[in-house]
Order: sequence, then C-alpha cells, then structure tokens
Amino acid sequence: MINSSGAEFRRNEAHNRLLVAAFRDKQQAARHTRPARDLERLAKQNKMRPRERIEKLLDSGTPFLELSSLAANMAYNGDSPSASSIVGIGIVSGREVLVRADDPTVKGGAWYPLTAKKIVRALDIAMENRLPVVHLCDSAGGFLQLQSEVFPDKYMAGRIFRNQSILSKMGVKQLALVFGHCTAGGAYIPGLSDYSVIVRGTGAVFLGGPPLVRAATGEDVTVEELGGADMHTSVSGTCDYPAANEDEAIHIGREIVSQWDRAKKWDIQRDAPEEPAYDPQDIYGILPDDIKKSFDMREIIARIVDGSRFHEYQPNYGTTLICGYANIWGFKVGILANNGVLFNDSSLKGAHFIELCNQNNTPLVFLQNITGYMIGQEYERRGITKDGAKMIMAQSCSHVPKFSVMCNGSFGAGNYGMCGRAFDGRMLFTWPNHQIGVMGGEQAANTLAEVKLNQMKRNGGAVDQAEIDRLWEDTRKAYQEQLSAYYSTSELWDDGMIDPVDTRNALGIAISASLNAPLGEPGYGVFRF
Amino acid sequence: MNSPLASTPVVTANVIPFKKILIANRGEIACRVIRTLSALGIASVAIHHRLEARAKHARMADQAVEIKGETPVAAHLDGRQIIEAALAIGADAIHPGYGFLSENAGFAKAVANAGIAFIGPDAATIALMGDKISARDFAAAHGIPVAPSVMPTQDIDAFARDAAAIGFPLLIKAAAGGGGKGMSIVRSASELTEAARIAASEAQRYFGDGRVYAETYVERPRHIEVQVLGDGQGNAIHLFERECSVQRRFQKIIEEAPAANLAPELREAICAAAVRLVAAAKYKNAGTVEFILGADGRFFFLEMNTRLQVEHPVTEMITGLDLVRAQIEIAAGHGLPMAQGAMMQNGHAIECRICAEDPARDFLPETGAVQYLGVPEADYLRFENGLDPGQRITTDFDPMLAKLVVHGPDRDVAIARSIAALKELALLGVTINIDYLARVLAHPAFRAGDLHTGFVAEHREALAVGEPAPEALHQALIAAALGFREFHDLAFGVPEPHATIGRWRN
Amino acid sequence: MVFKLVLDGNLHEIDIVRRRPHLVLRIDGREHEVSGIGSYGDGRQTIEIAGTAIHFARAHAGDRQFLRLDGRSFEAKLLDPRSVEAGGSGQDSVKAPMPGAVISLHKAVRDHVLRGETIVTIESMKLQTALLAPRDGVIAAILRVAGEVFDKDEVIVRLEAPAQVN
Repeated sequence: MINSSGAEFRRNEAHNRLLVAAFRDKQQAARHTRPARDLERLAKQNKMRPRERIEKLLDSGTPFLELSSLAANMAYNGDSPSASSIVGIGIVSGREVLVRADDPTVKGGAWYPLTAKKIVRALDIAMENRLPVVHLCDSAGGFLQLQSEVFPDKYMAGRIFRNQSILSKMGVKQLALVFGHCTAGGAYIPGLSDYSVIVRGTGAVFLGGPPLVRAATGEDVTVEELGGADMHTSVSGTCDYPAANEDEAIHIGREIVSQWDRAKKWDIQRDAPEEPAYDPQDIYGILPDDIKKSFDMREIIARIVDGSRFHEYQPNYGTTLICGYANIWGFKVGILANNGVLFNDSSLKGAHFIELCNQNNTPLVFLQNITGYMIGQEYERRGITKDGAKMIMAQSCSHVPKFSVMCNGSFGAGNYGMCGRAFDGRMLFTWPNHQIGVMGGEQAANTLAEVKLNQMKRNGGAVDQAEIDRLWEDTRKAYQEQLSAYYSTSELWDDGMIDPVDTRNALGIAISASLNAPLGEPGYGVFRF
Repeated sequence: MNSPLASTPVVTANVIPFKKILIANRGEIACRVIRTLSALGIASVAIHHRLEARAKHARMADQAVEIKGETPVAAHLDGRQIIEAALAIGADAIHPGYGFLSENAGFAKAVANAGIAFIGPDAATIALMGDKISARDFAAAHGIPVAPSVMPTQDIDAFARDAAAIGFPLLIKAAAGGGGKGMSIVRSASELTEAARIAASEAQRYFGDGRVYAETYVERPRHIEVQVLGDGQGNAIHLFERECSVQRRFQKIIEEAPAANLAPELREAICAAAVRLVAAAKYKNAGTVEFILGADGRFFFLEMNTRLQVEHPVTEMITGLDLVRAQIEIAAGHGLPMAQGAMMQNGHAIECRICAEDPARDFLPETGAVQYLGVPEADYLRFENGLDPGQRITTDFDPMLAKLVVHGPDRDVAIARSIAALKELALLGVTINIDYLARVLAHPAFRAGDLHTGFVAEHREALAVGEPAPEALHQALIAAALGFREFHDLAFGVPEPHATIGRWRN
Repeated sequence: MVFKLVLDGNLHEIDIVRRRPHLVLRIDGREHEVSGIGSYGDGRQTIEIAGTAIHFARAHAGDRQFLRLDGRSFEAKLLDPRSVEAGGSGQDSVKAPMPGAVISLHKAVRDHVLRGETIVTIESMKLQTALLAPRDGVIAAILRVAGEVFDKDEVIVRLEAPAQVN
C-alpha cells in the first residue's frame, strides 16, 4: 500500500527518526542524569536509586508502562526531571499494579507543583481502573519555594490524600514502602495505605521532622526516635512491617501483594494476539515531516493492530473519519481515526459508531490527527455545530473505556470530539511529532496579525508592517513552544510521550489495566438532532 | 526387591519345632528375619518402643508387642522385659539379630533358663568370644595366628617396656569394646602411657570395663572375615570370606564377598583357621571370625562375632544360602545345612551401607525424614531396609538406614551394577552417603582391589565431592526452581497480555 | 525481581527472560528454554530443557527441597533475605550444626562475646563440638540448658540486634 523505498517515505523516515532520537535522548537524561553529589549522598545512605527499586519490585520478564516520563521537562528550568516522580503500570507478584515512586535524587524528592499533579493523576488512573497502588516513598516533602502551587487548591497535594481515601473506600489496595522520609503531608501516604513497610535506619514517618519539632516545642529528638521503623512498627502501629534494608522491604512488599486477590476483570472479547503483518517501523516513513501534509491513517492503523486486520465501518460515508473494529493484543476495540477535517457526515458517523461500540461493550481507541470541524456557511446551515455536538455527547457519555493517541495534530474543537484530555479517557499518549493547541501557530499568527492590522486601520494611523511582522513572528514562536508535544507532556496534559512503535504495547497494557474496573452504566444525554 | 539369589539347595526333611519366634531387634534386620520366618511358615513377633509403634518391622510381623524404656535403645536393651514379652506371647524362640543383646551372654542364658530357644550360640561361647582378651587367648591356644600383644598391668612401665618390645605402631583396644570405640593408634613410646590411660578411661565410661590391651598395628591392614556355621558338636563349615576394609570411624561401609585379589592358598589358610577356631569352641549356630591381613600376607585373629552380621547378605548372594534359615535349623537341632565340599561360591557380591550422614562434614550424622524413596529393582539386587515413606530419621538409632546388596558374575560387573544402582536410588529428605559410596566404588584403587582399613582417609581428597558440571548444576537449579511454589507463581502467574509482551520498557 | 535460590549452600540467581511460547530462564548468563515443566510435587519427575528430557526425583521437606539428578543429590531452599547468605540481619542466631545435646554453657545472657568465642559445647553421637559467636555482640538468649537435646538447625543462642548506626 505504501512505497517504502520512495523518496517521500525516506524523507519522512529520516525526519521522524531524528525526532524519536531526540525524544529518547531527553527521556534518557530525565530518567538518569543526576548531579553526582546527589547520587553519592544516596549511596552513602545505603539507598538504591528509585528505578532500581522499581526493577526489583517488578516480576522479572514483564513489561512496565511508564507514564509521563517527560513531565516538567519545560518547567522549573529543568530542575525537576520527570516531575521528581516515577509512575507506571507493571506486574508485581502476578498482579497488575500501579507503581508510584518518589525520586530522592532530585532535590531530595521534594514535590514540585507538577509532582503533585502527576501523583494526583496517577491515583485518578488507579481509581478509574481499580488498579492497586504500590507507593515507593522517599521525599523531603513539599518544595517550599513553590508551596502556593503545591498546597492549597482543590487538585493540588491534598487531592492525593483524598484520592487515597476514596481508593481505600473502593476496596482498591495500597501498599507503601517507606524508603526515606515521609514528612508532613507525605506522612499520610503510608498513613492512608492499607499496608506499609518501613526500612530501619532510613525510613521515617512524621508529621513534623526534628527541626520543626525543636522549633515548635523545644523537644530534642532524633529521626529514629521520632518516626523510625521500630517505633512505628512496635509502638504506634503506623507502619506494619520493619525491614532491615531495602531489599528486604521490597521482598516483604512482594509477599504482601501476593496475598491480594487476583482481580476479576471485566469480560470483553479477547482472541489470541497476533503481531501486525506490517512493520510498525514503517510509521516513521508514513508520518509526514510537515504538519500541513496529510497522510492516510489506515496505514498507521495497519501497523498497530493484530494481524493488521481492520474491519472498516461505513467505508464510503464520512470518509474523513475512519471507523472500524480491530484487535489490539487480542482485545477487540473500536477505532476512530482522522483523515482530514470533520464534516457533518463524519461527525454523524462518529457518533453512531461510538454508540455501536457502547452497545457491544467494545472499548474505544481514538487516533487523533484533527485540525477541527469544518467551518463555513454551508456547513453551519447543515448543522455542523449540532452534528459536532452529537459526536461530543456520544463520546462523553460513553461507558466503555476510552484511549487516545495524539498522532500528529490536535487543534480546536476537533480535540473534543476525538476524546481529548477533558473527556476522561483512561489513558492518553502523545507522539513526539504531535502538536496541540486551539489552532496552529501560523494560523494564530495570521489571525492576530489581521486583528492588529484591522485595529491599526480603525485607529486611522499608518500601518506599521514591521510591528505586524514582529507580532506575527512572536506569536508564531510562542505558539510553537506551547504547541509542541514536549510542552503538553511537560504540563501533564497527557499520560506520556511515547515512541510511535511502542503504541501497540502501550495500548495493550492500558486496555488490560482498564478492565479491572466494571463498565459504567450505559446512557446518553440529549442529542440535538 | 528383597529376594535372596536362590533358595537354599538343601531340603530339610525335618520339621522345625518353632511355631512362633520373637525378633529381639528392629529396623532392617528385623524385617529381614521376618521375611525368612514368613517363608518358613513360622509366626513372627516384633517388639517395638512406643515411638516405633508404626514402624515397618512392627507392621510386617504377625504380632507386635510394645516394650517400654526411657529411650528406644534402652527398651531394646531390657532383656528381662523382652523375655517376659516372649513368654507372654507364647514365643518358643528368640532371634536376637545383631547389636543390642545379640552378644550379651547374660541375655542368652536368661532366655535359655526361661525355656525359650535362643537362635544363636550358648551363653558360655558368647562370653568366651565376647571378651576380646579371652578370645585371643583361646585362638592362640588353638593355633590360630594372633597379633603379638601386651596386657597392661599395675606397672605401667613394665607395660610400656613389653609393648615397646612388640614394636610400633601399636593399637590400643578395649577388651570389652567393639564398634571402633576405645581404640587408638600409638606410634612411639612417648605416646604410649598417655594413650593407654585415655583408652582405659574411655573404655570404663562406654563399656563399664576399663581393661585395655595393646597389640601390633598392621599397616594398611585388610579386614577379612569368614562366615561360619557350627552345630555345637564340634562340627563346623565356612561360607567363604568377606572383605570389609572400607571403613569410616572404624565402622564398615562397604563389604564384599569374596575378597578381591586373595591368593587361593591364603584364602584356604584363613578359612581353615576360622573353622578350626569354631570347631574347637564347639560353636553352635552362625558366627563370623574376623582377621587382619597385612600386605606381607601375615594374618592375625582380630575377634569373633557370635551373631549374624550386618553384611551377611553378600555371603548369601554368592552361596545361595539363606543364613537366617540356617540359624533356625541349627537352633532346631537339625545340624549343618551341608558338608563343606558341597559349599559352592558363584560370582561376586557387594554391599553398600546407606547411612544418614554427611561425608563432606566428616560423616556427621544427619536427621530428616524419608520424603521420597525410589529403589531400583533387579533380580541381582537386594535393598534391605526398614523404611517407610514419611518416616522420621532421628538420632534415636544408628545412622544406618539400609543396605544395598548387588550381585554380579564377577567383581567388575558387581561394581558396575552397584554404581548404577546407587545412581538410580533416590532417598530424599535426609542427607545420605550414596553418592560418596558410588565415588568409592568408582575409585581406581577400589577397582584394583587395593583395599585397606585406611582407604577412606588415604583417598579423602579424591573422594571428596567435586563441583557439579555446569550443565548438571543448571539442570538442578531449574528442577529445584520449578518445585518451589514461589517460582511457579512467578513463572506462570503473570496474566496476559503481559506474559506474552515479556520484558518491555517504553 | 530476580529469583534467588540456595543450592547446597551456594546462592544462585534465576532470571525469567521470556514466558511465551516457552519459559526461558537465564542462569549465570546462559539461557535455557524449558518446554516441559512437570509438576511441582514429589517423586520422579521429568522436565524438558532445550528439547532434552531431564529425569530426576524430588521431595519437599518444609521449606527445603531435595533432588536427585544425574547421580547427584542436591538440597535447595529459597533465600530468606533476612538470612546470613543475604547479608541480612540473620547473624543474630546460632544454629546447631547437627542434632545432639548440650554439654556445657560457657556464657550467660547479657554477656559480651567476640566473634569466634565459644558459647556452648555440644555433643552428638559421641562427638563433641563448640558453638561459636558469629560476630561481636551481646547474648540475648540461650535456649537450651546443659543436658537438653536439640535437632539440626535449631536455634541455640540468640544475639541482640546490632546497635543502629545513623
């Protein structure tokens, strides 16, 4: 179907491989590059690096889907790689769990504003998917310089503890492994976990540390005495198991998880999985090197789904939206993918297909590459707003799990219909080449330049072309930064930037995780017909 | 699994007068005796301590009687109680097995006094041969070669002088001892006095009899013993010899019949000496005359055991004779089973004593349980044991668990079959010595018949367990891992699609 | 987490590389494909490694496993991370190397001991041996008195947990 030796393919491939290489470099740095001083301090305390702890926690030979590895990559001057936090879905003692670890190699593990957001999002994922959580705690507490963005608001740090409580109420288990300090609010993580293990000598849990205690009451007390392993596991009962070292703590943690029930999963149709017939690496050659160029999403689908088999629905109608059924890692899903702008027919087709999937309890996968709904008088008269609304209504009210992959572009209202962040998809991933914004950079620059021009004309003065050019350039630059996938992933508008070839595994693991929660009640609001 | 090589060739026309025989023993020998009693149609009675109520020998016998004692060993040494039990149950004979009271003259006398037949020699003979010193004197008096020796007197200096006169090295032994206890080797005059004093105090402590004597220590001695049967009238025959040189802690672990590389004249002489001794003593029933054979061909009388020995099966296998049956027949007054000239030997037999011990830690006794027992079967193989699956192995009894006895047309085949059988044998749940025994049998010196009682010490390094080959080690690790629930869960408890995706990171 | 096994006193690590289509394990850098896993019960078993059938016998006893494979006997147990082999806090107890009885006690509770000092003399099958302190420490408990008997691997002496260094 595609000419993989054609000039265009090769040009695209070179471009995309560069993008992915740059992504991998940034990811590598965010994950592993740390000041030597911080690593030495950790080693002196006989502590493992957080990724080492995670690797030992997980069952060997199993996958780990890390979420939001590049969170905060464009914030705080890069002072908080991965937002000082590691989150992912993996297998511990044969159970699917969500793993969440503090990163003590970044400013002692202090929570930046985006750290709190990442942890809240992690626990939201745990609640929506009924995933048990293992917390690997080792944090100095809130990053005091930015406390107003960490502490007070509804979805800031407090939400972490609210989520923990609700998780527990839901019967979803949490285990806390205390490797370092859990201070102030952080103390509530083990406090609100169903099970906790604490490492003797390095782990500590207290609402106020010794300096704060001394300042407040004059009491002079050591870390161990105030909140160490032996005190909490034999006197206060705040923690359940003491461990002599980190290996032992992880061993105990795994034993605890092995006591948990294996989850009963929602039963959806699952066949034997099959590798795609087409090479996923072809995606590099399919995605164009310029966002304004179009490509056929079917080519992408063919490189994600089992056996490259895709049953297209309404193939001749509403052709700018591809709808159809396929298997991903054996799970039957309904796929919606953009091949252009959304028109009346494609919006109606999308709404209808979404209803069909809900009827059949088939999860939905949205592959976004959308610049928006069609505008113009003809379309308004035909009711494009109504039709777009119907699609949004169907999508928002879906009771099946929804997953989104931002493949190339997501602009304006098209983001909404295609299940953008606000629409409670279980998980949302971004490709490195992707751009997201209310509109494209050039379009925005053109719009603002035109507004400025009109303003100048209205004011009756001369048209300062240089000023307009400057405005155009500034606008385009600002948008360029904020449109990029790196910005979006930095702000945690997604659950992680991934290499396009990793999409199949990421979706497979995400779909599997989502089936731990029962499907909701079917039902929609009012469709404006 | 436990059939003697062939049934006794002699058909006894006389009926055996014993209707019920009590076995004053336990474990594998009790099971062994019960087997013959069963074949002869004689009722069997087992005795057992409370702790062994469910033991194999107690279940095999037609009747079982509980005997009381603070420890099982103490109960089995309570002669009075055993005789009372025999009388109460109406047994007309007692078979003492080996160990315990089998060489206790007082017991034999008490049994006879109670009107019960003792399947063994009479008390006087037991006493004579039981005392090592009197046995030596008796042997010497009847022209059986004995090692030059010296008895200690009050005058330690005179003793030291006489001992030095024999020449060094010397072996100090307890007169009332056995089983290797109270023995030590002295290589120079300066060590002698001290060694004698220590040996005497040990002997007093273990046997209640502090008498010790010193005799020539033969270097690289071979332990050669002769199985004999006497009719109590002065007639005796031998059933050829056995070699029991492979020992540890002065206890035998491998025995064979006949001895390897023994010149016919030497064998003649040794067996004849044994018969002469036994005939002179008007010995009745089965016994074994033990000799020390030096490299120079000189042999000396060591001691006589007035009972059936642990290693009797190797003799049974090369002669085809059921020794327990012969014992019963003699006790019944039917005399010897055949004339010497009719005694034939066929092939070669080897016995390996399987013990609960760790050869790597100086043969320290081990405990555990018989979690699994898998025994090879062949018509040339006997696995004598009193084991039950799940049985606990404790320090209550001797560490010997079983005997693997193998026959072959010649020594090489017997060795090869023994090694193969030891490889196939699986007794899991307690550390045992079967791999060590296999290494002994495979050692070139053993194959060559270059045996002596220091064999185990001399080849200590060569016999030490080597590291397993990497291939075998990995196989064992995988087999072991698959047997642990934790690994099983780890390997097979991962859900899909994660199990198929395998290790992947994004 | 890598699976840790102690075989005849030596620690080994077994990593699971793949599970489908067959289990592939890595030991000491070598990979083995296990296509037949037998059952994990006792008795004669056969597993298949790299297409070759491997026959062996296995018996469980508490937390240990005995195996007989290729004419050799092995004893396996899981690594307890709290044990001495793992460098954990297990050096707090002194176990009997063999079954026997206590002859005499040389130390008492609360005594300081140095590494290698004799704490207890024991005897089994007429052989005497000494139980030594595995490290410097303070005796927390002595669990047998003179004349009492014990089984192999039973804890005879306990040391107090070492002082914390912060």
